[in-house]
Amino acid sequence: MATVERRPRLYEGTRIPSPIPTVLQAPEELRRGGDLLTVNFGPNHPSTHGVLRLVVDLEGERIAGIGAVVGYLHTGFEKTMEQKTWWKAITYPERIDYVSFQYNELVFVLAIEQLLGLEVPRKATWMRMALSELNRIHSHLVYIGTSALEIGAISMFWYCFRERDLVLDLFEMVTGVRMHTRYFQAGGLAEDIPMGFYADARRFCVRMPKAIDEYEAILDDNRIWRERTVGIGLLSREDAIALGQSGPILRASGVDWDLRRDQPYLAYDQVEFEVPVLHGGDVYDRYRVRMDEMRQSTGIVAQCIERLEEMQGEPWIADDRKVVLPPREELHTSMESLIHHFKIVTEGYLVPEGEIYVTVESPRGELGCYVVSDGGPKPWRVKFRAPSFVALEATATCMRDAAIADLVAIVGSLDGVMGEVDR
Amino acid sequence: MIGYDAVPGLVETREAFGETTLEVDPTRLLEACAHLREEGFNILSDVTPTDYLGWGERGVAGYIGTPAGRDLNAPGSQGYARRPHPKPKRFSISYHLLKLDRDPRRVRVQVWLDDGEPVESVVSIWPTADWHEREAWDMMGIPIEGHPNLARILMEDDWEGHPLRKDYPIGGEPVRFSGEE
Amino acid sequence: MAVDKTIDPKRRANRPLAKAGLQSERLLWPTKGPGVFEQEVESLEDALGLTTLQKAVAWAQTNSMWPDTFGLACCAIEMMSIVSSRYDIARFGMERFSSSPRQADLLIVSGRVAHKMAAPLRQVYDQMLEPKWVIAMGACASSGGMFNNYTILQGVDKIVPVDIHVPGCPPRPEALMEGIVRLHEKVMAGVPPAYEIRGAAS
Repeated sequence: MATVERRPRLYEGTRIPSPIPTVLQAPEELRRGGDLLTVNFGPNHPSTHGVLRLVVDLEGERIAGIGAVVGYLHTGFEKTMEQKTWWKAITYPERIDYVSFQYNELVFVLAIEQLLGLEVPRKATWMRMALSELNRIHSHLVYIGTSALEIGAISMFWYCFRERDLVLDLFEMVTGVRMHTRYFQAGGLAEDIPMGFYADARRFCVRMPKAIDEYEAILDDNRIWRERTVGIGLLSREDAIALGQSGPILRASGVDWDLRRDQPYLAYDQVEFEVPVLHGGDVYDRYRVRMDEMRQSTGIVAQCIERLEEMQGEPWIADDRKVVLPPREELHTSMESLIHHFKIVTEGYLVPEGEIYVTVESPRGELGCYVVSDGGPKPWRVKFRAPSFVALEATATCMRDAAIADLVAIVGSLDGVMGEVDR
Repeated sequence: MIGYDAVPGLVETREAFGETTLEVDPTRLLEACAHLREEGFNILSDVTPTDYLGWGERGVAGYIGTPAGRDLNAPGSQGYARRPHPKPKRFSISYHLLKLDRDPRRVRVQVWLDDGEPVESVVSIWPTADWHEREAWDMMGIPIEGHPNLARILMEDDWEGHPLRKDYPIGGEPVRFSGEE
Repeated sequence: MAVDKTIDPKRRANRPLAKAGLQSERLLWPTKGPGVFEQEVESLEDALGLTTLQKAVAWAQTNSMWPDTFGLACCAIEMMSIVSSRYDIARFGMERFSSSPRQADLLIVSGRVAHKMAAPLRQVYDQMLEPKWVIAMGACASSGGMFNNYTILQGVDKIVPVDIHVPGCPPRPEALMEGIVRLHEKVMAGVPPAYEIRGAAS
């Protein structure tokens, strides 16, 4: 049954509020005399992804004004990481974007490696790619599960979390923990890839597309889902670029930009995948972009597994003993290894002076890490450019002419993770 | 666009690690950014303030380093092979720009400021700078002129001090021998 | 309802936990003796001397203890996964996460609590009706975790009285469920909620 719905044309001009681009203010007449009700959403509220506080001015059911208040999860990552050595500091970034945890680790480790000029063995590169793409699937599953739950498609939660547990099983097999895996080291991976991983990952790659078919069967042509998401939360191409958006939000607004393809890192130029781009700029298109991305990620994982199977027995971490711990057997025989081990563990390796800005395509957009090193064992400055921080700046623009019921759908589609926003 | 010489207020161009850094005079920042926006740098990725207080002064353990040599009473004092290059002023703000194109480019615009020296807001050029500049004010105390809504964003509204500065203590509960100040 | 045959029938009559059908590790691990926790709970039961009505009330409180949605950070994702089908929390009657604190019994503080968030946390705790329990899930809620700095509350028991601390970063869903089950055992044994024990911060 095909319902022919007319999508509203994306608007003319710009809808970014002014003077403050991130705060939609109710017009003067309403504020003075009208029937304006100010409601506070959050910070503890079931329909916000974490501790986001929205102060909303309602005129009946229409949102007349909205402003976001963030900072309720500010953890001081950047200052804390300045106190730790480079090795210990790698543990922290994972908690920043806690749904796609390995991306933060990846971007920080890539920054360290580029400053060091370290060459990473290809096995580590391909495994990092495989795990990152699995993490992308994990993040999109959590997104769809929770967004659908909030809009009312409650059963999606259980479907998505069923597959999410499979992804976490793979992580646990490789790294030992479900979340916050701390598997990437400066120079490669922490441990070799266990034997059963390839078979299980293959099985997952066979199962996942069928699961995505299931999700699409539930939601794609569902009339209620379409009514609640099509034409809601419009963001035009120019507004998305002006607001610095990236990732699925940008691609759903018609901009063909994906860091994996356009500024490749790891080995993304050696795998084949497509970048889904849609032009509706609404909640439905962002949902569809993420669903398609999940399919492409499964394909990338399958390709990585094939390549990794050829590399069994290869080293998984660089050989530079000034940065990487020597294997334990060597400590019994080689004095230099012992000294290296001691220096790396106590003082930490020294990263040459410089500053660098590394970006990866996280499930939320462009995740960037700006690292300044003074040549010492501790970072001087680490800043994470969080895509959710920027996505939440677009709330006011997306919420123009929205009803209160759309607020939940739009905030869900922006897929903000408050750990990233507040850092 | 290989050459950035036409950028107004350009002081220096540096290339390192495959990246280009344009050091710009802070009083001409708005012109420089407008010029770059017209050249096609349509996405502002990030605005990062950095505090360089104490750059290159950390104590050294071992036979190389300060004339005083090893400091036994400072257990966290680490070793350097060489001193880092000195920085012109205490604060720097780096604007990371991206050009969305078939041939994408990234560039970093850097301005150097003293404590309390204000910098102009680039919200009129890239609206996304709104929250980034608020964070720069909140965390580092760099006053942004012309910002429509310069308020604290991550800390509470009545918080005193700017946490990411180097002279702001890490806080928390004291833990012995952890090496944190 | 499986019955623990290793307990002497005469003693079993006086053991509310076993009567309620709560299985202990003893069944899964037949050669294991009672653990320290169980011994302490036994001595508490003897000391407190619960009446039948109290036992019934405790049983009712345990079997449908509704948690409050207080998911803050990474632990919230693992808390969501206990609702999922693999680690089904609905077996304990707790799948109904109540966003309104007025209808919630259990506050699972999952995630790091910034000072900015401490006031809303305390407000939510105050809005809950007695009896109420608090589980500090994860290292950050229990003690500040890996973050010892100007912005993270070093342990949520500085502002709310906590019954159970669940360690982990983040704790596995099974670990959280173990914490919840232990809380149930505590309640069944008659241990009062934390705000009645710890005078401060309540």
